[in-house]
Amino acid sequence: MTFSGEFFAFMALALVAIIGGVLLLNLNKVVHMVVALIFTFVSIAGIYILLSAEFVAAVQVLIYSGAITIIMLFGIMLTKPYDESEATTGKWRKILVFLGVLGFAFAVYLGIYHLDIQQVPTTLHEDNTLQIGKALYSKYIIPFEFVSVLLLVALIGAIILAKREDKEGDKE
Amino acid sequence: MENAWLIPLFPLLSFLLLLLIGKRLREASAYVGILLTLASLVFSILVLFERFSEPTYMAKVNWLTIGEVHLTAGFEVNQLNALMLFIVSLVSFLVHTYSKGYMQGDERFHVFYAYLGLFTFAMLGLVISPNILQTYIFWELVGVGSFLLIGFYFYKEEAKAAAKKAFIMTRIGDVGLFIGMILLFWQTQSFEYSEIFKAVEAGSVSNTMITLTAILIFIGAIGKSGQFPLHTWLPDAMEGPTPVSALIHAATMVAAGVYLVAALFPLFLASKTALLTVAVIGGFTAIFAASIGLVQTDIKRVLAYSTVSQLGYMMLALGCGGYVAGVFHLMTHAFFKALLFLAAGSVIHAVHTQNIEEMGGLWKKLKLTAPLFLIGTLAISGVPGLSGFFSKDEILVAAWEGGHPVLFLLALIAAFMTAFYMFRLFFMVFTGDARSEQRDVNESPSVMTLPMVLLGILAVVAGYINTPWFGSFLGDWLVDGNPILGAAHIEGPAWIMIAATVVSLAGILFAYFIYGKRSIAPDWLSGKGDMLHTVVSNKYYIDEFYQMTVVAIVTGFSYFLRLIDTFLVEGIVKGVVGFVQGLGRTGAKMQSGQVQTYGAVAFLGLAVLAVIYALTGGYLR
Amino acid sequence: MSSVPASAFLALALILFCIGLYGALTKRNTVIVLISIELMLNAVNINLVTFSKYGVSPSINGQVFALFAMAVAAAEAAVGLAILMALYRNKKTVHIDEMNEMKH
Repeated sequence: MTFSGEFFAFMALALVAIIGGVLLLNLNKVVHMVVALIFTFVSIAGIYILLSAEFVAAVQVLIYSGAITIIMLFGIMLTKPYDESEATTGKWRKILVFLGVLGFAFAVYLGIYHLDIQQVPTTLHEDNTLQIGKALYSKYIIPFEFVSVLLLVALIGAIILAKREDKEGDKE
Repeated sequence: MENAWLIPLFPLLSFLLLLLIGKRLREASAYVGILLTLASLVFSILVLFERFSEPTYMAKVNWLTIGEVHLTAGFEVNQLNALMLFIVSLVSFLVHTYSKGYMQGDERFHVFYAYLGLFTFAMLGLVISPNILQTYIFWELVGVGSFLLIGFYFYKEEAKAAAKKAFIMTRIGDVGLFIGMILLFWQTQSFEYSEIFKAVEAGSVSNTMITLTAILIFIGAIGKSGQFPLHTWLPDAMEGPTPVSALIHAATMVAAGVYLVAALFPLFLASKTALLTVAVIGGFTAIFAASIGLVQTDIKRVLAYSTVSQLGYMMLALGCGGYVAGVFHLMTHAFFKALLFLAAGSVIHAVHTQNIEEMGGLWKKLKLTAPLFLIGTLAISGVPGLSGFFSKDEILVAAWEGGHPVLFLLALIAAFMTAFYMFRLFFMVFTGDARSEQRDVNESPSVMTLPMVLLGILAVVAGYINTPWFGSFLGDWLVDGNPILGAAHIEGPAWIMIAATVVSLAGILFAYFIYGKRSIAPDWLSGKGDMLHTVVSNKYYIDEFYQMTVVAIVTGFSYFLRLIDTFLVEGIVKGVVGFVQGLGRTGAKMQSGQVQTYGAVAFLGLAVLAVIYALTGGYLR
Repeated sequence: MSSVPASAFLALALILFCIGLYGALTKRNTVIVLISIELMLNAVNINLVTFSKYGVSPSINGQVFALFAMAVAAAEAAVGLAILMALYRNKKTVHIDEMNEMKH
């Protein structure tokens, strides 16, 4: 392993991402938690660039750091979560889940540790967006259209679910 | 005859129908029962007539196959079965009809008809079974049916007790039958009657075993037919409705024991000891029950003891080798005893009491019932010209010729007693002064009298199919093709017939002088032997004896078992209950409705599995 | 080639996934639970993109899959939040441990 620039970049980004995640778990205010997560999302975008996926990185910033975080903030504001105290009854469950997560991580890490794949030179970094566009509009055209349908359904579903039901009650 | 299997199915259909929709049919359920039993009767008559000209028909299908052994189910129409089919379906049909009048207005009218259907189904199924296993199944079904019918007035304590008693007493006998059946199977590897007889004839079964199985099976017959010492349930069973008494205790269930002995007659013939046992028990029961009948005051109980006594006669006949005589008496007895029970029911229906000391002078009021009752009484007493005379004569001849002079004497004395107590009953009920409290006594409706008239005719003429004078048609037919069953007709000295006549007439006269003309005081006899009278009227203290011995032992044992139950079994049960309750409570707590908890639990399970998998040689090694 | 091994990226994804999992299973606020699930999806996306470059047969397919996953995640976030709104209107709470209607 050489201490190249790439390595340092990865270390920095990974550190920020993990710190964001830990902050998510440990901050008290809900809004702070969401803001902490923005760090994570942005550094994951950086990781994508390291993995020669510029387009995915851009989309990550747009969708996660932008759209989803904003939606969540709206959700928090609309629901007024005044009570920020954690329930005391869940203490045992927290410990158990923590142990479970540790065990799970250990089991999966064994798999990662033993992973040995020969690296193959790739051309992903050349005209990355063009490659993705070609793939999407040729090989993946049908799933692509399905995703558009899915988004439409989600849009309509979200509207119907979130719509106030008072008016319907009045009609009835 | 191929369709003889349909006969039992009609009453079963009636039972199921009434069980399902009887409540809605109410009184109309009688017609369902009557029509379906009529169908059975018509088929039975057809089968009977067909059997006159055709040989025995038998059909069976494989039911179970266990290794080499094939258990079959099916039906067989031989002479005895065809005759029994006819008797059972006829009496059942008449009782169905009669009950329409007798049970009128009862709240559980349709239930009564449903039970009648079940009982008739079981009895008809019993008499066409081709193997002893099937017989046993229907035998138990008959027990269930009789239990339900005897306990029909279950809100009466006595009826409840009587039903239980009938069930338990017959069950004691059934254990004998069961063991006998298993022993037979062990010895012959078959339940089929024909196979068993073949094995017995070939001598492949040891003599001791034949005697043992025959006596064990006879114990079953003792239970069902109310023979001494298991007779006590039969008089108590009179707590049931009177039509039930006519059906169960005249023609069908109690005759099942006699039928069983008759159906297995070749087996009994193979063992002198077993035959002698049957004869002695039968003879003893005949005189024993008749003597109790002398002093009973309940009209139905007198008839019940008379039934026990007459069944003893049949057993005596079979035990003396008089196959024809036994079956013949079974048939005639079915007719005149059913007639007597139905007539007694009609009397009870009219005066609302069963105590004969409260009756009297009913001859003028019950214009139809009284003569019919008289016919039945004459028939059972053995007055020449009626059916009972011929069949009883056959039995006496069989006993004499079979070489049992003592039993012959017993039977003769029993005949005298029978004539005496039956006419005592008749005179006390129908002659003398009318009791003041019986003003509005009315004859029963025609739906009740018609079956009685039919039975009355049969009680008179049924004897003529097997007489020493006009030929023994029934006997010839019954033993046709089965020489082992014995002679079609046993020729006896003429004096037996005269003696029987004299004895029965003497009994009638004696009863007439005491109860008819009252020229001899009724307590003339009881005054002489006070002790004896007390003993007899208490039925020889048999019930008390059972109470003190068997019941006491069983009670003590059950008390001991209850202790075990309270402390041991209940403790275990409580432990199990506590464990399950605790488990349930924990489970209910986990069922909190919170998705997150569910997710956590599911994930923990996955994590544990993953760790175990990874540690024990996982996916990469 | 690259000085950072594939297993480093995978390990990072694993850590993020575990953080998300722990958050989803222990946090009381439903919004945070939803965000934690998004974090888990993101960790999966890292895996997809990593294998797109370092896999046995590298190709653009992994990246396209990641894009699809993002689209689905966005839809899921929207619908999840809408459900949360409806629930909040009826129960006046966002605490997941007070939503126990599945009990009945």
